[in-house]
Amino acid sequence: MNHEFYVLITGYIFGFYMAWNIGANDVANSMASAVGAKAITIRQAVFIAGILNIIGATVIGSHVTNTIRKGIVSTEVLTDPHLALIGALSALLAAALWVSFATWKSLPVSTTHSIVGAMIGFGIMAGGFSVINWGKLLAVVLSWVISPVFALILGFVMFKVIAKLILTKRDSFIWSLKLSPFFIGIALFVIILSFLFKTPLGKKLAVGTPMAILIAFILSIILGLLGMKALSWHLKKKAASGEEDIFRRIQIGTSCYVALAQGANDVANAIGPLAVIYFLVKTGEIGTKVPVPIFLLVFGGIGIACGIAMAGHRVMDTIGKKITTLTNTRGFSVDFAAATTVMVASKMGLPVSTTHAAVGGVLGVGLARGIEAVNFRIIFKIILYWVLTVPAAAITSIIIFKLLQFFI
Amino acid sequence: MRIPFLSMFVTSPFEGVQEHAEKVKACAWVFQRAMECIIQDRCEDFEHFREDIDKLETEADAIKRRIRGHLPKGTLLPVDKFQLFRYLREQDKVIDAVEEGLDWLSFRSAAGIPEVLEKDFMLLVEAVTDPIEELSKMVTEARKYFSNFSEPQRRVVKDMIRTLRQHEHEADKLEDSIKAKIFNSIEDPVAVFHLIRMAEIIGSIADHAENAGDMMRAMVAK
Repeated sequence: MNHEFYVLITGYIFGFYMAWNIGANDVANSMASAVGAKAITIRQAVFIAGILNIIGATVIGSHVTNTIRKGIVSTEVLTDPHLALIGALSALLAAALWVSFATWKSLPVSTTHSIVGAMIGFGIMAGGFSVINWGKLLAVVLSWVISPVFALILGFVMFKVIAKLILTKRDSFIWSLKLSPFFIGIALFVIILSFLFKTPLGKKLAVGTPMAILIAFILSIILGLLGMKALSWHLKKKAASGEEDIFRRIQIGTSCYVALAQGANDVANAIGPLAVIYFLVKTGEIGTKVPVPIFLLVFGGIGIACGIAMAGHRVMDTIGKKITTLTNTRGFSVDFAAATTVMVASKMGLPVSTTHAAVGGVLGVGLARGIEAVNFRIIFKIILYWVLTVPAAAITSIIIFKLLQFFI
Repeated sequence: MRIPFLSMFVTSPFEGVQEHAEKVKACAWVFQRAMECIIQDRCEDFEHFREDIDKLETEADAIKRRIRGHLPKGTLLPVDKFQLFRYLREQDKVIDAVEEGLDWLSFRSAAGIPEVLEKDFMLLVEAVTDPIEELSKMVTEARKYFSNFSEPQRRVVKDMIRTLRQHEHEADKLEDSIKAKIFNSIEDPVAVFHLIRMAEIIGSIADHAENAGDMMRAMVAK
């Protein structure tokens, strides 16, 4: 017991380190469009991202945690508690090390892909290639391709809609105010639905699908109209004009949306393996279905928030200075596309990367000719690192597994 | 590269195009002053103006190279990349023509411009400086169009292009009448050659401005 207690402590440390890395790495992508379009300041971005990552992780984040843990690697490997313990520990450390290495070498990797690769490495060591659920893995790999494409389409459509309904109009300010309930409402609709489906809170309410959609629909209409009232009241005082001013305010909301989705999605990367360690130590075995305790999610959320607080400032400073061609209407489209993609994917239990969703969103707006200059080619470079990340993290995980076997 | 989001954003070439157009505008002003100077009998500042134009041309060239050099393959712009380059080339030719005009004038600066033709040349210079001053305004308006895609804004750009064309037409007519006047009033063949060529070079400034307008018309086409 005493020995396992140390393992648990180590697990907490590694888990926190991983969460820290996620915060430091991914916050740039979730907050980039808001900071780039000057909708929020760096300080606000750090604050919003920190708080909402914790909330997203705690309230919406529980579902994905299950999939990473028992989807790709079959539960067979978990029958030997000792092996499972070493495996989870090495997977966590391997992913964290790989992400740190990537940060040091300036490689654009995804924390999500790192943990998936590390889990595969652990699975191979513990039970050979047969324990890997290749079908599931394929689905996950496909989701990495689908998620940026989905975000691209959403970003494209959203920008086209804004251009058609607002920008091309002579009195675009009036139009953007008139249509603001629609833009606020559509974002809220997805958030409310996410809350109602498959979260501990939503399960307690126990509403059916049609009912949930109805509730979300009505609530988003009411809140959207309230948002418009707030906007017009606020703008009357300031005497601002122009559609970008309205979208600047809406974008404050959407950046919250992104942070929430990110917290919900990414916390699993750090907490998945930690949950395995936690249950092995507490119960001595691990079943096929174990709920992830809330306090672990909170722990992960806080870890991410710490990463954001410590490293986010510098990264976002660069972004704010370098991105000058992004306006608020464009930023809104990118935010909306990225957050919706991540939210939907995380509800489906697919571990997608916030980074790639954000990249997809920018490309979508770029394809809609919304940005003066976007480098499309960069996508091929990013794909190269997607492909490299999984085996690299898997090999790291295998090496650490071998090393740990000597000591534990 | 660590932040893929950031590496997708390339410096907008339109900023450079705008900067380049400002240089063209500055050239127009110097050119006008230089011509006024040469027409007054004792022009001491002429070399000074030439140096100014030389400097502006070098700076504009650097901007042009910067734009071409900093647009990686696969960059997505609201317009075709090569349309933009062709526009830029025409805009650059405006400065080149101004520079060439002053150079040509300097080869025979002692003779200057005969008194009978002074007024005509001044009119011609005015006719060509108007359109090249318009260029920077046109770039600003076009950028506005690329940001909101609104039809009224497109019309603003199209109207400016039309004005450019009209200016060019007027400059053409002036050029023709100057040429006729040169042949009829000047006896010295060397002077005739110098002045005819001078009128042609000044006329070509408006031609290039018009061409730039045509390129812009292609860029804002739906």
